[in-house]
Amino acid sequence: MMTRIPILKLRDCLIVSIQWELDDQTALSFQEDLLDKLHTTSARGVVLDLTPIDFIDSFIAKVLGDVISMSGLMGAKVVITGIQPAVAITLIELGIRLENVVTALDLENGLEKLERELED
Amino acid sequence: MNLRSSVDIITEWDIVAARQLGRNEAKDVGFGTVDQARITTAISELARNIYLYAGKGKIEIRQITDGNLKGLLVIASDKGPGIADVRKVMEDGYTTSGGLGAGLPGVKRLMDDFKIETVLGEGTTISASKLLR
Amino acid sequence: MEEEKDDRFFQIMSNRIVDNTVREFGELMISSLTEDHDTYTAKLNDFSVQIVHYGWSISFVLKALTNFTEIIYEKMDDVENLDEGNFQSYREILNNWIIPLNHSIVDAYSVVWEKTVSLQKIALQELSASLIPVFEKISVMPLVGTIDTERAKLIMENLLQGVVKHRAEVVLLDITGVPVVDTMVAHHIIQAADAVRLVGAKCMLVGIRPEIAQTIVTLGINLNDFTTTSTLQKGVEQALALTNRAIVEVEA
Repeated sequence: MMTRIPILKLRDCLIVSIQWELDDQTALSFQEDLLDKLHTTSARGVVLDLTPIDFIDSFIAKVLGDVISMSGLMGAKVVITGIQPAVAITLIELGIRLENVVTALDLENGLEKLERELED
Repeated sequence: MNLRSSVDIITEWDIVAARQLGRNEAKDVGFGTVDQARITTAISELARNIYLYAGKGKIEIRQITDGNLKGLLVIASDKGPGIADVRKVMEDGYTTSGGLGAGLPGVKRLMDDFKIETVLGEGTTISASKLLR
Repeated sequence: MEEEKDDRFFQIMSNRIVDNTVREFGELMISSLTEDHDTYTAKLNDFSVQIVHYGWSISFVLKALTNFTEIIYEKMDDVENLDEGNFQSYREILNNWIIPLNHSIVDAYSVVWEKTVSLQKIALQELSASLIPVFEKISVMPLVGTIDTERAKLIMENLLQGVVKHRAEVVLLDITGVPVVDTMVAHHIIQAADAVRLVGAKCMLVGIRPEIAQTIVTLGINLNDFTTTSTLQKGVEQALALTNRAIVEVEA
């Protein structure tokens, strides 16, 4: 049943598109895979696209928040893109604000934002 | 009308099964995408609580009617250790598992109605419902 | 019957309305005795619609109905000399006439009232603003009227769906038309802004009047994470700056 989320490299960025509902194990192994990939490729930024995801509970939100902090420790900026309105509303109502997370409307905007952040 | 269906929560995978069931039922009742996400998320939180704290239990989902409003009732029951301080678990940010501490108060905010019954050493039953307006 | 119904409750209303209503009530009472059930029900419904329209409270209508019953008792006493022997049977006859009448007037009244409330609710929901794209990447949502929890949820949904649909990078929430900003309203606005940030846009709060600024600070509401401006115009200028644009005058 284990599925792995593909992580693509584009110049000095990693691009991840999460295409289906995350179960706990997949989320945790994704965390590991991403950090490994950051280590081996020395990428400076990550765009994480969540467009197809229709809900995020507190566990997955925690894994995502952790991944962002951990990537930060390894010197990489993370931009999350494509959070759906329904997902955003549920997260806020759950009380999860995901402060300090950089977001963008879609993958294209996300890459632009990341490039700008990396220039600064 | 009192359609019901349930999922036994024993493994982590059952959390996924419970929320899929919840999403389908919510769609069936006619909830919009935002309410579907609210209900699915609430079920996920309740199912994970069962898995983390009681080991095993059950998520039951019923279609309900209140007057001329349709809705969904979610009942999460387990025979786990029970909750010692209900007031405390309903506080934002309180966690014993290293999570975000958004669980139960979050579920309460996502749903319309929220009830919790717990007896130490015997178990916990949480019912939460949402009406389609 | 008509003049007897008049009492102090009617003092605040114009004579014409009172006269008309009393006459209609009289006709209604006679209709309940002489005409078939459907005709009576239709008349009853018309009557209660009118009463609700006048804005008479339900307690006032109930008092009027009680008075009417008392007057009937008095009249019966005048005509028939009530005593302990015949009182019981007269009371039964009267109750069979009056009680269903009372019930149906109150029922009809509450049906009309509920309908009015739900219509007003729909009207209020229609006030819930939609998102207006003003420039590429910039949208405005004007908020008008009082914001309660239910409306706040609707506003949040419209706001987020609009942001994604119009691909807005900056959205201006204009509260010029919101009469009161208390802690609850501020909380909803902060939540909406947080949610906008999650979908990948920036939310600005514009149209902050002096008295709103005063209440916000007095209540200790923290809007420091927000970009706020007093007018929509200033907000649009800042939004353009945020998206690396500006309005320039061209020579004619």
